[in-house]
Amino acid sequence: MTWEPHIFKDLHQIPREEHVFPGTPLCAGCGGLESLRLASKVLGSNVVYVNAAGCFTNLAAFPFTPLDASWLYTTMGSAPAGAQGVRDALDVLIAKGRLPKEEDVKVVVLGGDGSTYDMALSSTSGAITRKLDFYYFCYDNEAYGNTGVQLSPATPYGARTATSPCAVRHPAGTMQEKKDIFEIWRAHKPPYIATVSPRYPLDLEEKFARAAQYSGPKLFLAFAACPTGWLFDPAYTPDVAKLAVECGIWPLKEAINGEVVHTYLPKRQPVEHYLKLQGRFRHLFEPTVQTDAIAHIQERVNTYWRDVT
Amino acid sequence: MNQASQMMTGNLAAAWGARLADVDYVPAFPITPQTEIVETLSKWCAGGELNARFVTLDSEHSMMTAAGAASATGARVFTATSSQGLLHAFEVLYTVAGWRVPFVLVNVSRALASPITLEPDHNDVLAARDSGFLQIHAETCQEVVDSILMAYRIAEDPRVCLPVMVNLDGFVLSFTREPVVLPEPAMVHEFLPPFRPAHLGFKASAPHALGTAVVGGSIYTYFRHQIHLASMNGLAVYDEAAAAFERICGRRYAAIDGYRLDDAEDVLVMTNASASKGKAAVDAAREEGRRVGLLRLRLIRPWPAEAIRDALQGRRAVAVLDQNLAPGQGGILFQEIAACLYHEALRPRALCSFIGGLGGKNLSEGEFRAIFEQTAEAGVRGKGIGPVLLYTEAEHREMQQMQYLAHELKTGR
Amino acid sequence: MLSIRFHGRGGQGAKTASRIVGTAAFLEGFTAQDSPIYGAERRGAPVAAFTRIAKKPIRERGLIARPDLVVVADASLIGDPSARVLDGVDERTVLFVNSPLTPDQLRARTSVSGRLTVLDLTDLALKQFGKRGAISALLGAVAGRLAGLRPESIREAIVRELTDLGLTAPVIERNQALAMQCFEAVQPVTLEPGPRAPVPSAQLRTPTYDPPTRGTAGITAGPNSAIRSVSGWRTFRPVLRPDLCNGCWLCFASCPEGAITIKPDGKPAVYYPHCKGCLDCVEVCPTDAMTVEREPEGANK
Repeated sequence: MTWEPHIFKDLHQIPREEHVFPGTPLCAGCGGLESLRLASKVLGSNVVYVNAAGCFTNLAAFPFTPLDASWLYTTMGSAPAGAQGVRDALDVLIAKGRLPKEEDVKVVVLGGDGSTYDMALSSTSGAITRKLDFYYFCYDNEAYGNTGVQLSPATPYGARTATSPCAVRHPAGTMQEKKDIFEIWRAHKPPYIATVSPRYPLDLEEKFARAAQYSGPKLFLAFAACPTGWLFDPAYTPDVAKLAVECGIWPLKEAINGEVVHTYLPKRQPVEHYLKLQGRFRHLFEPTVQTDAIAHIQERVNTYWRDVT
Repeated sequence: MNQASQMMTGNLAAAWGARLADVDYVPAFPITPQTEIVETLSKWCAGGELNARFVTLDSEHSMMTAAGAASATGARVFTATSSQGLLHAFEVLYTVAGWRVPFVLVNVSRALASPITLEPDHNDVLAARDSGFLQIHAETCQEVVDSILMAYRIAEDPRVCLPVMVNLDGFVLSFTREPVVLPEPAMVHEFLPPFRPAHLGFKASAPHALGTAVVGGSIYTYFRHQIHLASMNGLAVYDEAAAAFERICGRRYAAIDGYRLDDAEDVLVMTNASASKGKAAVDAAREEGRRVGLLRLRLIRPWPAEAIRDALQGRRAVAVLDQNLAPGQGGILFQEIAACLYHEALRPRALCSFIGGLGGKNLSEGEFRAIFEQTAEAGVRGKGIGPVLLYTEAEHREMQQMQYLAHELKTGR
Repeated sequence: MLSIRFHGRGGQGAKTASRIVGTAAFLEGFTAQDSPIYGAERRGAPVAAFTRIAKKPIRERGLIARPDLVVVADASLIGDPSARVLDGVDERTVLFVNSPLTPDQLRARTSVSGRLTVLDLTDLALKQFGKRGAISALLGAVAGRLAGLRPESIREAIVRELTDLGLTAPVIERNQALAMQCFEAVQPVTLEPGPRAPVPSAQLRTPTYDPPTRGTAGITAGPNSAIRSVSGWRTFRPVLRPDLCNGCWLCFASCPEGAITIKPDGKPAVYYPHCKGCLDCVEVCPTDAMTVEREPEGANK
C-alpha cells in the first residue's frame, strides 16, 4: 500500500506564519525545535502546551516565551496528567457556560524521550486509556539531553552517552536496544500515532493535519537529531535526520486506529552512513572497526523491514 | 433553617464539603483510609447530585498534577489522598503551589512506610508543611466539612491564591461516625462566592505561560518569597473567613482552639482528632486539682505564631504532643512552638516534648496522666524534657514476645 | 589569591579551559578551585567558569564577582548584557579576548578598556583543525600564561582534561601543540590581586505581595523571545546568493529557529538577529545558493 499525502504535496504549502518564534535558548541546530516549529504551523496558536521536564523546559524561561500559545510546565513524570486536568477543565467550563466555545484550545503535551519512554509512561498510558483528546509530541533525542546526555531507554544499541561509556567490558557503548514506544502506544489502541522527521517536512505537516480529524490521543514521535548530545556539527542536523530515515533506522510511519502504514519506503543505505556522522558512534569505527556491533545494528534494521514489508 | 444533624463519617463529611462547594472537577486515586471520599464523590458525579467531572488518574502524582492543571484552567477542583499517596505526589505539591492554584486537597492522615501500616499519625501531612499549601487540621467530622468550605474561600482569595490542605485523622475520624450539621446550600452560596479567578485560565484569546523556568537565584528568590507572602496573608484571610462563617453558619473556628486555658498553669499542645481525648484528659486532671489546659492547633500553615504566643505566654510549662517523629530530631511541632516562644519575655519556664500515637497507637489515659505529671515537674524545675516517647512497659513486653516469634522460635518445617 | 573568570559560548570550551588552568595550578603545588556556571542555555549560549589559585586554603566559592583576569572566548559576548563579561572589572583587571581585531580596534568597538591582550584563537584553530570546535586547550594555555603558570604543567593539564572528555590521543596532541603556540604568543602580565576597597553592607529590601498575575513565574506578553538577538551565537553565517536560489523553501522549512522568512517574491531571506549560525540551511540547499561566511568578530551584528 502506497501512502499519499492529501494536503501537503509541495513545500510551498508550508504555512509562512510562525507560532514558535526565534530567540529561544535551545541549542543551535536543535532537531527537536525544528520539528516543533513545523508541527506548530499546523497546530496553530490556539494551543496550550503542557510541558514535561526536558530540554524544551528552556523554551519558556522567565521573562521570555517563544510561543504565541499558552504554556504550562508540569513535572517530568506527569505532563499527560496535566493535559488531562486542562482538557477536563476546559470541557467542564464550556459545558457550564463559563468559557465560550470559541475560546477552546488544543492540548499538546511536550516531552523528551526520557519522560516519554520511562518516567511519564504510567501517566501517558493512563491518558490514552482514558481516551484523552490531546496531542503528545515527543522530541526523541535518544538520551537525557538536558542533564548532559545520559543513557535513556530511547538510546540505541552501540551509542555512547555520559552513562554508557565505551569500556573494556562494553567496547560498543550501550548494549541496550531502544525501547519500542510506538508499539507500546499502539497496544493502547489510540486513533492516531505517527513518527516524523523534520527532514521530511511534508510528511510531518501532513501527519499533523491528518491527526486533527481524530478525537482522542494523537501521538507523535519526532526524530530530534541532537548536535550537542550526538556529537556532530550543528550543520549536519539535516543530514543525520535524512540518513536516519534513508538507512531505515527511523521508519516514517503512522498507525490509524492501530493499522500501521509506512509513509516512506527508504532504499535503505548501509547503517554506517548514518553512524559515521556522529561522535556518539565514533568508537564503532576507530581506533578499530567494531564489525560485529555494526552488523548487529544493520541486522536489527533488516529484521524490522523484513517483518513489516 | 434546617440545623438537623445526621450521623456521618469524617470521610463522608469531606465528600459533603466538596459537594457543598459545588466543585467542577474531582481527579481521584484510591488509597486507604481516604477511599470512601472518592467513592462517594464518584457516585454523586455519576448520579448528578454533583455537577462535576470525576476522573480516576493513574497515580497520586498524576492526580495532583491534574488537580493543579484543572485549577490553572479555571475550574474549582477537589481531590483527596493519604500517606504514601501524598508522598508519591510530593514534587507536584511544590509545583502547583508555585502555580498559585487555589484547589482543596483533603489528606487523611496515615503513618508512613516503612514499616507499612494503615493507621494514623501526622508524618505524612507535616512532611508537606513547606510545600506552599496552607494546612487546616480538623478535630471533628463537623470541622471537616466546615473547614473544606473555609478552605475554598481562603484559597481563592486574591491575597492568597494557594492550594489548601485539610487534614483529618485516618480511622479515628475518617471511619468514625458522629453527628454533623450540613450547612444549607444557600448559606454556602453566601459564604463562598463563585470561582472566577483573574489570573488563571487557558483561552484562545489570551495565551500565557505559567510555571516557566527561571535562571538565576534572584528571580527564584522573588517568586519563592511571594509564595511566603501569600501564605502569610492567609492569617488575616483565615480570620475573615472564620468570622464570616460564624456569622452565616453559626460555628466559629479560630486558627487555634483553646480549651480551659484561662487559669491553666500548664498547657498541652495537640492537633487533630486525638485532641478530643486530650480535652477529656484535661477535665480528668482538673478534677484532681491540676490547673491544666489544652491548645489545639488548627491552622498549621500559615503558622499563627502570634496567636500561639498569646495563648502560651506566662504559663508555667508547655507540653507538645507530637503524633509524628522526625528521626534525628524529635517532634516536628515542638520545634515550631519552641521557635515562636523564644523571644517572648514571659515564655514558659519549661517546654516538654512528647512523641505519641505513632502508627495509630492509642493515646491512653495513663499516658496523658504521665504527660501532665512530667510537665508539672518540669515546670517546677524550670527545665524542659524530651522527646519523651509514649510507649509503655506492657507494650514493650508484647514487642519482645513478637521478636521471639520472629527470630528465636524455630517450629521446624 | 588569583581569580580568573572565563566567558564563552556553550561548546567553545570555557569550562574545560577553567579546568586546565585549575589542574595546571594544582600540579604546580598551588591550592586550586574551579567551577562552571550554566544558564538554561546550551551550545552557543553564554556560559562562565571560574578558577581560583592560591598558596593558602581558598575560602571562596561560586562565581567570581571581582576577577583579576577575565578570559573571553568570543568577543561578541562583550556586547551581550546577559553574559556580564565586564562585571567587577576595574583598571587593575587583565582581559584576554579571542578576536581577530587589535586591542585598539576592540577598544574602539566595544566598551572594553584597561589592560587588554588579544589573540585570534578561532583563526588558529580553523587553520589547524579545519573546522569549528572547542578551543578549550588554547584558552587554557593563554590563561595559564597570563596567570604565570609553567608550560609543562599546562601541557600535562591539557592531556588530563581532554582525556577526561574522551578525546583520542592524536586529537589531544594536536590541541596540545597548538595550545603551546598560543602560550608562547602572549606575554605574561603582572596580575595585581592585592586587597580591594571594602564592600559596603548590602541594601536589603523585602518585596511586598504582588497579585498572582505578577507574583508567579508567568508570562503574558508572549511571544516575546524574538526581542533577544542570538547573533552572538554564530561563528559563521549563512549568506544567500539570490541568483542561485531556486525558491524551493527547503531552507525555510529546515531552520530550527524560524530565522528564515519568505519575502513577497517567494524567495527566502535570513534575518540575522535570529540566526544562531547552525548552517542547517546551507546543508539542505540543493543549489548551493546558501553559502558560508565567517562571522566578522567584534563587528556590530
